[in-house]
Amino acid sequence: MTGLRRALGLVAIEGIVVGLVALAIVLSSDHVGSRALVAGLGLFIGWSFIGTGLYAWWRRPDNRFGVLVTAVGFAFFLGVPMYADSELLFTFGVLFSSLYLAVFVHMLLAYPDGRVDSPQLRKVLTAGYVLSVAGPAVALLFADAAEFGDDKDMPQSAVYLGTDPVLYDVLDALTSALAVVLVGYILYVLVKRWQSATVAQRRAMSPVLGSGICLLVVLAGQLTTMAVNGPDSIESATSLLGLVFFALTPYGFLFGLLRSRVVQAGAVSELLHKLGDAPDGTGLRELLSNALGDRSLQIVYWLEDSGRWVDAAGLPAELPAFDDPARAWAPVEREGRRVGAIVHDRSLCEDEELIRSVGVAAGLSIENERLQAQLRARVEELRCSRARIVEAGTAERRRLERNLHDGAQQRLVALSLTLRLAQGRLHKDAEGAEQLLAGAQDELGRALEELRELARGIHPAVLSDRGLRTALEALAGRSPVPVELERTPPERLPAPVEAAAYFVVAEALTNVVKYAHASQARVSVSRNNGHAIVEIADDGVGGADPGRGSGLRGLADRISALDGRLELRSPDGAGTLLRAEIPV
Amino acid sequence: MGHRILIVDDHPSFRASARVVLESEGFEVVGEAVDGASALHECCRLRPEVVLLDVQLPDIDGFNVCEQITAYAEHPTVIMTSSRDGSDFGPLVTTSGACGFVPKAELSGERVQELLGS
Repeated sequence: MTGLRRALGLVAIEGIVVGLVALAIVLSSDHVGSRALVAGLGLFIGWSFIGTGLYAWWRRPDNRFGVLVTAVGFAFFLGVPMYADSELLFTFGVLFSSLYLAVFVHMLLAYPDGRVDSPQLRKVLTAGYVLSVAGPAVALLFADAAEFGDDKDMPQSAVYLGTDPVLYDVLDALTSALAVVLVGYILYVLVKRWQSATVAQRRAMSPVLGSGICLLVVLAGQLTTMAVNGPDSIESATSLLGLVFFALTPYGFLFGLLRSRVVQAGAVSELLHKLGDAPDGTGLRELLSNALGDRSLQIVYWLEDSGRWVDAAGLPAELPAFDDPARAWAPVEREGRRVGAIVHDRSLCEDEELIRSVGVAAGLSIENERLQAQLRARVEELRCSRARIVEAGTAERRRLERNLHDGAQQRLVALSLTLRLAQGRLHKDAEGAEQLLAGAQDELGRALEELRELARGIHPAVLSDRGLRTALEALAGRSPVPVELERTPPERLPAPVEAAAYFVVAEALTNVVKYAHASQARVSVSRNNGHAIVEIADDGVGGADPGRGSGLRGLADRISALDGRLELRSPDGAGTLLRAEIPV
Repeated sequence: MGHRILIVDDHPSFRASARVVLESEGFEVVGEAVDGASALHECCRLRPEVVLLDVQLPDIDGFNVCEQITAYAEHPTVIMTSSRDGSDFGPLVTTSGACGFVPKAELSGERVQELLGS
């Protein structure tokens, strides 16, 4: 910062020196009518631009706009040697006498962030710079000394090639016409920009673009009169008017800067005052929206435990992307912790300090509101999970009915028919009847197995009778993929926890068999820090998708109903680990 | 010669048992179908006199299939069957145009004959 300050100090000294040199040139000139007026006005304009530019540069070093404002001031002084008596200095001064207008247009187009991004506008700007030198160059090469003024002491151009009125008139008309087109186009661009701006953007733009557009209108008028060789009086009157608008521009800019600081201080103190009334979520948004003058402002809250943003209602919220052209956001922190963010119109990025102050002032209220939002998000989560549990219950009953109907029931139907056939043959075809009875025996065995499987799926009796270890051993024993049961707690856990742990392992092993292409799996259940930790790991292909099927989702709901957490880690090619933490 | 009958059911074990039971009691089983669409197709192709039609088919509901079959001018007689009880279906059996209902576990040539005679 001190480095920047020193550099800016040097530029300021240069500005003063250049201004004093300009003053000396004008005051010693033999061909200026009112030397004091020209010197005073020139110094005032040049130093105004340099001064306000340096101030903006210092306030916002990252924004190149301040640099451009300063450059306008220096460019303005560059034209002053045209008042010198020396031919060489006079020629130099005339050549660069319009450069400041090109830099000024550059500044207007680069407002407010100091950059001109559009390639087309860059071409227009380049044309402007070229034209600002080419126009005077034509005059210096071909114009009669009388063209520069009536004064007999007016020096001759150092590069004068001789009078050629026709060539001069043609070239002069051409450069003037080009300048009119260029100024007209830039006016059009600025007006378009104004029209498409939001209210907040317009308020920020108005001081600079207002005076800038007025100057361009005057300049366009002046150039048109020149191009059509209108009366001199109009030209000089518009010239003076243009100079007034030009001189006003840096002050418009300064006014904008100061207003934002004054408004900022006022807005923050008013906000602090109103925050004392402890507003609710909507009220807080209103207050911040008024303080920043942005009707579209939104506050979002950071939920640290689930690592996501939510709105005041606790519903998931999205932050605008980094390159969003219309919206931006600023984080709000309290005691080094992120509590929320203010989502605002991008034009407010110019007032970063104001947003920061508002964020600091409203930090406590945002923190309070964040707790409310967190509660609402939790309630919403519970509501969804409750609905899912009810739905899962219904689906489970449907599945059971279907399984019973398609499995055991069909087998028993077939069995009944077979037995009836056997009964009919018992006397006339004893051998046939015996075959039918043997078939019936097999069918009955299969029906029983299906019923056992179904009953186990509803609730494994061995779990209630013999505990988790035996139930998991049975589960591992039935799995087609080898399962190593590493450890289980020696004591019994509460029944709901044991059931949840059992079904986590059962679902995980089903998934291992179906999707993992694993050669083995590991199961462990331990107690740690008041939690039962259930882990199932396999050496399969990984890449499991937590959203796949309803199995994992149902398990997550079951675990969260016990205030626990379910976590899936499944990097591609590196196996899968499903971990459940259930409070005991 | 007994009635020409088409068995429609998606469970192969039931179709096999029903065929044995009905054939042993003198019915001629002319074909089997596994779902509603093939049932309609086989009806047109085989022109059975009786269709033993399961209520719960994988594609079209059995009662809808029955309505479509009985909409033809010279349609076969349809007997609905299910592993569920007839009372589970309320008035659907009569309104669908079927001639009667027989629970799967009680299927016999005699029961079918009774329903056809009634």
